[in-house]
Amino acid sequence: MTEIVRDQTVTAAEHKVATGPDLRVPFGLGLAALACVAPLFLGNYPLHAIIIALIFLLPAHGLNLLLGYTGLLSLAQAAFFGIGAYASALLAVHFGTPFYVNFLAAGLITGAIALPLGIPALRLRSTSFVMCTLGFVIIGQAIAKNWISLTRGDMGLAAVPRPYFALGPASFTVSGTVGFYYLVLVIAALATLAVYLIVRSPAGRNMIAIRENETLAESVGIPTWHYKLVVFMISAIFAGLGGSLYAHYLTVVSPLTFQMYYSTTMLIIVLGGGAGTISGVIFGSLLFVGLTEALRVAPELRMIAYGFFLLALVFYFPNGFAPLIGRFWSFLERRK
Amino acid sequence: MFYTIIEQVVNGIVSGSVYAIVAVGMTMIFGVLRAINFAHGEYYMLGTFGAWFAIEYFDLPYPVAIVIGVVATAVIAVVVGNIVMQRIVGAPAEAGVLATLGVALILQNTVILVFGGSYKFFSGGYIEPVTLFGFTLAEQRILIIIVGLIVFIGLELMVTYSRIGKAMRAVSQNIECCAVVGIDVRHVALWTFILGAGLAALSGVLTAPVNVSVYGGMGELITFKTLPIIIMGGLGNVRGTFVAAMILGIAESLVATYVGLQFRDTVGFATLMLVLMWRPHGLFSAQARF
Amino acid sequence: MSGLPILDISGLCKSYGAVRAVDGIDLHVNRGEICGLIGPNGSGKSTFFDCVTGLAKPSAGAVKLDGQDITGWSLNDIAREGRMLRSFQKTVVFSALDIEENLVIAGQMFTFPGIWSTFGIGAAARNRVAALRERARELIQIAGLWDVRFQPAGKLSGGQQKLIQFASMLMPEPKLILLDEPMAGINPKLIERVVDSIRLANTSFGVSFLIIEHNIDVVTSLCKRVVVLDQGRKLAEGTPDEIVQNQAVREAYLGG
Repeated sequence: MTEIVRDQTVTAAEHKVATGPDLRVPFGLGLAALACVAPLFLGNYPLHAIIIALIFLLPAHGLNLLLGYTGLLSLAQAAFFGIGAYASALLAVHFGTPFYVNFLAAGLITGAIALPLGIPALRLRSTSFVMCTLGFVIIGQAIAKNWISLTRGDMGLAAVPRPYFALGPASFTVSGTVGFYYLVLVIAALATLAVYLIVRSPAGRNMIAIRENETLAESVGIPTWHYKLVVFMISAIFAGLGGSLYAHYLTVVSPLTFQMYYSTTMLIIVLGGGAGTISGVIFGSLLFVGLTEALRVAPELRMIAYGFFLLALVFYFPNGFAPLIGRFWSFLERRK
Repeated sequence: MFYTIIEQVVNGIVSGSVYAIVAVGMTMIFGVLRAINFAHGEYYMLGTFGAWFAIEYFDLPYPVAIVIGVVATAVIAVVVGNIVMQRIVGAPAEAGVLATLGVALILQNTVILVFGGSYKFFSGGYIEPVTLFGFTLAEQRILIIIVGLIVFIGLELMVTYSRIGKAMRAVSQNIECCAVVGIDVRHVALWTFILGAGLAALSGVLTAPVNVSVYGGMGELITFKTLPIIIMGGLGNVRGTFVAAMILGIAESLVATYVGLQFRDTVGFATLMLVLMWRPHGLFSAQARF
Repeated sequence: MSGLPILDISGLCKSYGAVRAVDGIDLHVNRGEICGLIGPNGSGKSTFFDCVTGLAKPSAGAVKLDGQDITGWSLNDIAREGRMLRSFQKTVVFSALDIEENLVIAGQMFTFPGIWSTFGIGAAARNRVAALRERARELIQIAGLWDVRFQPAGKLSGGQQKLIQFASMLMPEPKLILLDEPMAGINPKLIERVVDSIRLANTSFGVSFLIIEHNIDVVTSLCKRVVVLDQGRKLAEGTPDEIVQNQAVREAYLGG
């Protein structure tokens, strides 16, 4: 595991202090400002693409905590993404609850489902664990298809309402693309902040320790089993929240939400950007959407490109593409 | 009632043989490369498409189509083996998962791009029914069972007596030692991979007359069915894989009849997860390789 | 200081099927003592260590640490709650992380004992981490690794990694440290340095030690009491001189 996931955050941070002003802070602030005014100069279509990127950012953050920081490869993100989408859609369609209730409930429900699934799964060795997580996706899809009284089977749930907020007598619906863009932007920013706080806390360091060497981590007193379980749950919750947003954005949910495709997508985002870094995952999700949009001609061509992309990641860019940016930064800094 | 059960068991043995032929290749590839081949079902699909192509476009008879399907797949396997699979030797498990997922995406979608995503009719094969011990079966199904047996016996003989077979067994048992005693691990890995892909293709061509339809996405389903089999069989364990394949084939056929057809494709993973909770290392020891 | 031994093991057994790797061993380590554990290869030393530290579950017997029964506890519980730490025969470090991170991680679970408290955010948590860093830097200086402190631990030499491992174990102010062949595979110059660090930890930090070691010179210079294992049983116990003179011990080594 450690071979393909190298951590750049920990040691790099120390060196930064020595090498002078950090360009990443102004760059990050600039990017944030740009994100805030994006609807002013972007058309509806590019905005739609960015919304998708920001929605995918949530499950990707979750996978990054699991794979990039704790070192567990999981293909279950699609299952939790689907559970979150269905939970949210069912609540909205059957009970007409406001968006924030659906959204939080989606997170809670996925977390609650992830706990009993994680307990047996995390006892398995690496390959069996991967298979088990893949099994969650396959079985999730089968349930969505066959529990017709609840999920309406292959027809799926249509007319999931756009997010609406109700506080006392006042209510407000986010209907347009621009409105949804800001909603997703705020949620994605909060999620990123949450990941940042987790990773920077002593717990984050313990997660990295588990990734580096589980027995050694155990021998310095880290309860690795509990850690893996909690991180598995957190990653599922992130995926569930992403699924909820996806349901409310597309307004339809079908068994196709439980697809390997979404698990592969999250892997491409996390590994493409650089597992074990937060900026890498943000970069990865934007890159992924860029790639998707550039290859809109034929869906098959797009999938073929993903395939080559995965191969390139494994054999030529084991740290993802983010280190290339890092090299670009140090190049700029040397030029000054 | 009793007759139906027996009939379903026989059907289960047929599909078990199909899975077995695909899964032995996959489990041997795991034994040698220590990587799960997520693209394995795609070679099944390629074999089927090769045969379909030969029949549709050149009007060739079915036996020739079998050869063409298998050879075409083996040629593609040589390319993939050289470019991708050999590099996985000694790489971490995750690299294998990601690389073969990439190969699966490329192969599957290239075929869809070239031939279109629609279902195609497979016209070759021996579909005349024959009656044997009071059961009526299509000839093709009997052929599948026979080929399954031949493959099993052939593989056993190969790993026991042939040079390359012994090398495969040796690599799967201890990769470091092999490098020391002068076995070219990359060479062995390549041949194991080609053999596995060829077997998957053979299985695909044999099943095509029974399934009738041929389509680009069919490989994925086979991959997802084979994965639980090789895990239950004890990764790298050929005999265990045969038993697991038969169990799954029969279980699927019974579930399809008595529970519901729509649950058939979930049986594999559902069984796998139950088995893993009970025995985290699969039903059969992974130590008893080949 | 009470007279009770810090570590008291009685009747410890571990069997794998029909094989009894550890067969009823009684052993104690007194407070502030450096106790040696020797024996020919395959005598069950490492299995014994694994059973005591929670890496393996003993089949029978009891382990008492500072009066508390810790039999059957997991490795992480024993390290965290019991402050009894162990090294591994094959040196391991968190190879992608620098030395300071290695040491901070090693000390973390003792300042943040619960899983939830480690998610701790805010000034209090920051202060604790700062204190850990301070202690880590002190130990890095004592270990003589100051110049390489920003390098990934995996890039350093085997001897340096040994020192990192040893410094890591001192981070949480341990009561007892179990070392599994600390001198294996390091050059004679470094052996002296490690021996000095063990003595220093023993005298200035008051840490007790139980050490598996093949190098008899090291054992003689460090330990006042040595226990000999053979075929899963305790063969002899005494001062290094008595052990060297012991006929049964000589036979076990020559025969084994």
